[in-house]
Amino acid sequence: MTATNIDPKLLQILVCPVTKGPLEYDKEKQELISKQAGLVFSVRDGIPIMLPDEARKLDDV
Amino acid sequence: MIGVTDPFTDIRTYADAQLIDRLLDVTRSFKSALVCGAETSHLAQDLLKKHNLDTVFEGEFSDPDGPANGAVSKVNNRIIYDDEWVPFKNEIFDLVISMRALHWVNDLPGALIQLRRCLEPDGLFLASLYGGQTLHELRESLIEAETQLRGGIAPRVSPFVDVRDAGNLLVRAGFALPVADSDTVAREYISLPELFDDLKNMGETNAVRERPHGLATARLFEIAEQIYKERHSTKTGHLKATFEIITLTGWSPSESQQKPLAPGSAKQRLSDALDTEEKLF
Repeated sequence: MTATNIDPKLLQILVCPVTKGPLEYDKEKQELISKQAGLVFSVRDGIPIMLPDEARKLDDV
Repeated sequence: MIGVTDPFTDIRTYADAQLIDRLLDVTRSFKSALVCGAETSHLAQDLLKKHNLDTVFEGEFSDPDGPANGAVSKVNNRIIYDDEWVPFKNEIFDLVISMRALHWVNDLPGALIQLRRCLEPDGLFLASLYGGQTLHELRESLIEAETQLRGGIAPRVSPFVDVRDAGNLLVRAGFALPVADSDTVAREYISLPELFDDLKNMGETNAVRERPHGLATARLFEIAEQIYKERHSTKTGHLKATFEIITLTGWSPSESQQKPLAPGSAKQRLSDALDTEEKLF
């Protein structure tokens, strides 16, 4: 699979849609993590999916 | 499609032209824009080329795998988000354009506040959405038909915001120099199915989630079409359908903008300027 990396410009403007807090970018998994909200937003073909309804819950482990 | 009463063949084209018109009225230049809503690619690329913007971000509401995205954008900076959950930092854009999208939002005041916050001071917000007059003929016919048939009604046409409310919402969301204006465009259709087909092509089907499913029978639409024809047909016997397009303009507040003076701070009398006597009532 050839994952398209997210454009750095996007990382500069994005925050968590729920808490408006910072996001961490997991390059390996192509995911944006909001620790405050406990949500993981996926990035598909370089396009971040910032929908709380489609975000995955952050595992507690 | 026959009998279009407007030079524009498509309501969408018309709505977008209204938006672009407002943008051309603005003399200041922009650096970083967010273009969001329906079918944004065209305008986003236009902005990049003609207006010399450094960066245009494109926001869409639907899933990229979904059917709504016909044209694949060449702009790399795309984000899928929801206007009720805006994922942008504060004061990050100097131009936000929302195209034919805000009538889908449940919490319009909340969405406007969030979009305003991601604008820099003196940044421009432009939006187009369908207004309260949209499809009033269809709504009336369906309500009448359903009352006749079942003695009750179901919301089959999405509720739309009124142009006056839209203006007030801009003020409430903290926009300076707010303007809300509306345009009504009439179109003609041969039949109700043709009207429905057109709405489907526009991606504008009923957004009311709580509507009863499976209750819209063929009989209902037959009666509705009959009522529609009786009350809202054109000279040629076609169905007349109104679309109201609301265009919103607002600026993120800044010290540099003109503001009204505080009450009582006038240094000259109005009566002097008008050369008349001042009377107390």
